[in-house]
Amino acid sequence: MKGQKFDSTVVLRRTFLKGAAAFGGAAALRVPHAFAQEPAKPAEIIVRAWGGSWVDSLKAGVSDPFTAKTGVAVRHDLTEDNEIQPKVWAAVAQGRVPPIHINWDTTTNATKSALRGVTEDLSDLANLKNTTDLAKPVGLDGYPIVNTYGYVYVLAFRPEAFPDGPPKSWKDLLDPKFKGRIAFYNDGIGFHFPAQVAGGGKLEDIPGNMQPAWDFIAKMKEQQPLLGEDPDFTAWFQRGEIDAACTISTNAREAKKNGVNIDWVVPAEGAKFDTDGLWIPKGLPENELYWAKEYINFALTKEAQQVWLDGLGLPGVVPGVNPPADLADDPSYPTSEEDFKNLIRISSKVQVENESEWFSKFKSIMQG
Amino acid sequence: MDALEAAAAVVWPARFAAAVPYLMLAPAVLLVGLLVIGLAYIGDTSLRTLDTSTFLLSDDYTLANYRRALSESLFRTVAARSLQASLIVTAVTLLLAFPYAYLMVRTPSAALRKLLLIALFLPFFIGQVVRAYGWLIILGNQGMVNDALSLVGVAPLRLLYNYPSVLFGLIQYMLPFAVLMLAPALTAIPEELEAAAHSLGANWLRAFWHVVLPLARPGLVGAGLVVLTLTLTDFAMPAILGGGSQDFIANAIYDQFFRTSDQGLGATLALLLVAAGSLLVGLVLYLFGAGTLAMGRRR
Repeated sequence: MKGQKFDSTVVLRRTFLKGAAAFGGAAALRVPHAFAQEPAKPAEIIVRAWGGSWVDSLKAGVSDPFTAKTGVAVRHDLTEDNEIQPKVWAAVAQGRVPPIHINWDTTTNATKSALRGVTEDLSDLANLKNTTDLAKPVGLDGYPIVNTYGYVYVLAFRPEAFPDGPPKSWKDLLDPKFKGRIAFYNDGIGFHFPAQVAGGGKLEDIPGNMQPAWDFIAKMKEQQPLLGEDPDFTAWFQRGEIDAACTISTNAREAKKNGVNIDWVVPAEGAKFDTDGLWIPKGLPENELYWAKEYINFALTKEAQQVWLDGLGLPGVVPGVNPPADLADDPSYPTSEEDFKNLIRISSKVQVENESEWFSKFKSIMQG
Repeated sequence: MDALEAAAAVVWPARFAAAVPYLMLAPAVLLVGLLVIGLAYIGDTSLRTLDTSTFLLSDDYTLANYRRALSESLFRTVAARSLQASLIVTAVTLLLAFPYAYLMVRTPSAALRKLLLIALFLPFFIGQVVRAYGWLIILGNQGMVNDALSLVGVAPLRLLYNYPSVLFGLIQYMLPFAVLMLAPALTAIPEELEAAAHSLGANWLRAFWHVVLPLARPGLVGAGLVVLTLTLTDFAMPAILGGGSQDFIANAIYDQFFRTSDQGLGATLALLLVAAGSLLVGLVLYLFGAGTLAMGRRR
């Protein structure tokens, strides 16, 4: 893994792997507290989620089994993570009950909420002790967020467009034949750090000197890339609009499931590794807070993670979860020390503090 | 009836009669007042900067957001693109809407008038986002247009995700608005005036230029203002048909509020957009009069 900030961001891979070995095979589905002396059950709890295969996986792996065990219905709110954030912030600031019980969020976004002080502390979740270090948000006290899995921004491609074999480098996308046929996230997320390496810079220079990244992105701009969000990538691949994209492996896998001939690689310069998590906004009534915590606690069981993350094709935070058959030895599903060597992880703190500037710079180049 | 009148006299005595017009204005004043209060809040937010260590806005007032909004090339680019688009879309839409509205108003055929009305209203019932997605299906690499082109041996063309496709989507969206604003103005022009011009020797073009067009000015101004302001503030078409690289100001505002959580900068851009739109509208009113907004009065 490249680019670790060992002062505050270290991902203890060795510990992660040791933990995986130690806990591997231990079934460990244990619904904590046994719901003893449980507070009144709300009619439902609302979980914000991403749509498509994302929410389908959450429903199958966590929400439906949780309802079956507890009788508490779960409603999924598909408001975009960026759009629910100001609503939750406003509700907490005004002392209102927030519009959701649980936010399924990127760790970077969730860290902003934690820094703002609108998240409940989740340190008392019983199942946290069964998780790897990946579950712990770095650079924050306690557990204002619980990370639930990791993911990789891979280089996804259509094999027909690469007759000489899969691309080996992000620089391969500079081939003129890909003009107008490649795609990135519209704020460049996932691509800033590999671009730093591809542009000849060092990850250690992030965030101080990212000129190599901007120079490389400026070159990439000449290729007239499409810029979009998660659903766009799947749609663009399906409609034959693009040949390659920097996207989360889950989107590429979804397109593949839908019959699109698509594959993905982690190029030589590396690929960004990040995490998503669950958190609870402040301001919920006590009983609803209890059941929201129980939901997250349940999401940290091996049973829930196995089904949820099978659907997403992503590595979880509970040891012993088996990768889906189609992702065994896949670079987008890191399970070993070796797998992490070519993945780039920058601390959430650095990302949160600089994200606005990076997005603005990327947009400035691409909109110019 | 007498009892009712007596009750009404108690509730609203005759001496209050002069207040009736003001009372009728009250809802509008209330609405505008709420908007002004909202703008005041946005103005306050625009003077505060984001602290990324707490993600709270600063307590102190500063003009830093305004300096940033006016100096960063990203915002200059999207502002110029929005302004340019609003002018192009307004001009082209009025050019297309005028003959459509004229034909709709003047045709002696009731069937044709109904057909034109239906063709006008059908897209009205379909929201902007759905219409934009419709164009993705029609103009995409594997869309209907490229399918048709492939039948004659033409390789797929990139018809989407560029500036012209955004303008095209906006013009198609704005056309019904413009026609609906123009039609009443054209209906108000007596056909006899055109007939009189012809009888005095004017050909169709001269009659149109010297009679119809000047009399249609209120409709043109009203339609132009609507199209201009809607285009300037549009979000969906650049977002959907622009492929992420053709943002307008509204997209930049969205990014600040929802992507980078910088409400201060978002509020600044929003206020600058309101100011730019107001200036443009003021300029149009100054140059061409208030159009249909003048309610029959001169400027």
